[in-house]
Amino acid sequence: MSVQFRSVMTESGKGRFYLFSDLCKGCGLCMEKCPQQTIGWSERVGIYGAPTVESGHGEKSCIACKKCQTICPECAILIEKIEK
Amino acid sequence: MAIEMNNVAPPMPACWRKETKTHKFCPGCGHGIVLKALGEAVDELGIQEKVIFSVDIGCCLLAIDFFNMDTVQTHHGRTNAVASGVKRATPDKICIAYMGDGGGYAIGSQHLLNAAARNEKITSILVNNTNYGMTGGQMAPTTLPGQKTETSPYGRSVEQQGSPTHGPEMLAAMLPEGAYVARGTVANPKQLKKYLKKALQAQINGTGFSFVEALSTCPTNWSTNAAKTWDFLENQMAVEFPVGEYKVPQEGGNE
Repeated sequence: MSVQFRSVMTESGKGRFYLFSDLCKGCGLCMEKCPQQTIGWSERVGIYGAPTVESGHGEKSCIACKKCQTICPECAILIEKIEK
Repeated sequence: MAIEMNNVAPPMPACWRKETKTHKFCPGCGHGIVLKALGEAVDELGIQEKVIFSVDIGCCLLAIDFFNMDTVQTHHGRTNAVASGVKRATPDKICIAYMGDGGGYAIGSQHLLNAAARNEKITSILVNNTNYGMTGGQMAPTTLPGQKTETSPYGRSVEQQGSPTHGPEMLAAMLPEGAYVARGTVANPKQLKKYLKKALQAQINGTGFSFVEALSTCPTNWSTNAAKTWDFLENQMAVEFPVGEYKVPQEGGNE
């Protein structure tokens, strides 16, 4: 059985930040682990009605290190490096 | 600038059961990270069809429909006993016992110790979040000295309730050569995945009992936000419970 999850993409710096709002519970663990502090709360809500996250906040931008993707307990984040 | 997309898939391990996601754990729970590391380890070893996954009572029972693998729900604390029995009946299967610190160190400590004493060829994974998460955050054997829980409102006293249980140290002292014992943390998922993979490899090679404790988070019962959750895990728990490998099978010993 194939299941499809909807995603929202935000571009910032070197990475495309895909957020799967059907999976994100808004725990915020990724925001604390981001070395650039570029992840912030989004206006969209996730599966439990809590705000989801998106990149492009703060002063610095994404460096596509994939720490947020590794740490996310729900697998709700996918980082794609923008090839120059 | 946010664009809605439908053509990308979340980076889930292939053995995850996707129709049951999002999973049932609380926001910020470390179980998701442990099970992601376990799923990736199982994928890399290519043993999904051979695994029999047994889950304990407690928060870890919410993992019952987590994987596309055969899963057994056992009585509280008897996960190691059931996994040992399954392994003895079907030695070609890979048996994983998945439990919390209450199930492994409190009610199930005799089963954990006796499975280790018999050197059963199973892999035991224990998730340590320093309290009983499902029932509301009561004091567990792993609660840190001075930590406040529902049943230790003035903080855990070493004088009255004793010191926290150190499982990997205890098991490493009693297990013979060939066993694998390690303690990982969800703050370092890549290292945790390496430990889980080595533990599964020890079972595949049949060298002995393998045990991995994973330091985990419980924001719901710790009443912490994301920043304080990481702070408690990395600066308090990791001091009391040092992360690392405690027993590793010798190279080429029994392979």
